Amino acid sequence: MGTNVDKANGITIKSGRELDLMREVGKVVAEAKSVVRNAIKPGVTSKEMDIVAEETIRSMGAIPSFKGYKPSPSRPFPATICFSFNEEIVHGIPGDRVVAEGDIVSVDFGAILNGFHGDSAFTVGIGTVSQKAQLLMDSTRISLNEGIGKAVPGGRLSDISHAVQGSAESRGFSVVREYVGHGIGRSLHEEPQVPNYTDMGPGYGTVLKAGMVLAIEPMLNIGTWRTKLLRDGWTVVTADGELSAHFEHTVAITNDGPEILT
Amino acid sequence: MPKEKESIEVEGTIKEALPNASFKVELANGHEVLAYISGKLRVNYIRVLPGDRVLVDLSPYDLTRGRITYRFR
Repeated sequence: MGTNVDKANGITIKSGRELDLMREVGKVVAEAKSVVRNAIKPGVTSKEMDIVAEETIRSMGAIPSFKGYKPSPSRPFPATICFSFNEEIVHGIPGDRVVAEGDIVSVDFGAILNGFHGDSAFTVGIGTVSQKAQLLMDSTRISLNEGIGKAVPGGRLSDISHAVQGSAESRGFSVVREYVGHGIGRSLHEEPQVPNYTDMGPGYGTVLKAGMVLAIEPMLNIGTWRTKLLRDGWTVVTADGELSAHFEHTVAITNDGPEILT
Repeated sequence: MPKEKESIEVEGTIKEALPNASFKVELANGHEVLAYISGKLRVNYIRVLPGDRVLVDLSPYDLTRGRITYRFR
């Protein structure tokens, strides 16, 4: 039986069995996330963290979903995790750079198990970080939670965007606009796009229904929301070089409210 | 992994010019939307008249509103 697709907007509605499979892959992602988070300390390289993540995901029988991922026409992503330092927002490619005291680093990755994707991200401070950096990370996590709180049946897509943006901007941070969250299921990126900002307020866009699964992922900047793409074709940095943080969960919309899968 | 934002671009034909440089545009799929002229077209004094074929960038939230980004010759 194929996944039920809402014809009006192309959003897949997962059945109970499919949601169970997404819970399973979500557990793998959550587990790998905590392993990587515990492994990050001053002196390790982002490449080493990539290996830790890949081994953990594979040890649970799942497959890293970013490795080789190719949103046409750019080059395939070469690693299991996106590892982004400080002013790097997302899509940083793991390499030989060493994690240092005072850095804030964002790790984003996904896994595939039984044909379904899970996707999650976090930002963590290394040792003592500046007060501003800590506030940025806390605010990003809070804005994600506010967004998740709006992922309820009968709500609208822009309710989520509005909640995230309002939460971020009330704390003095800007939200990245050129990159957005997304539906997720048998593909990593499905309909709809889930922006973290809205120019129309709440109450617009697709009506949310039980069975939709969204990757909600606010990216907050200390300075401007504008971004720059580095020449490697992947790494996205803030246009003004100020710090950026990123938190993400894969969230199922259920009749009992939002359910965090990762 | 966040997705790069995509706008929804569709082709349409201008049906009617309205005040405030906005237009009624009939899209290829038969829907009618309210669209305004993008700043780029305005700066370059590109005139848009009923009957012209144009490219419309739709708002992801409200598919009945859009922005005219290109006029085909």
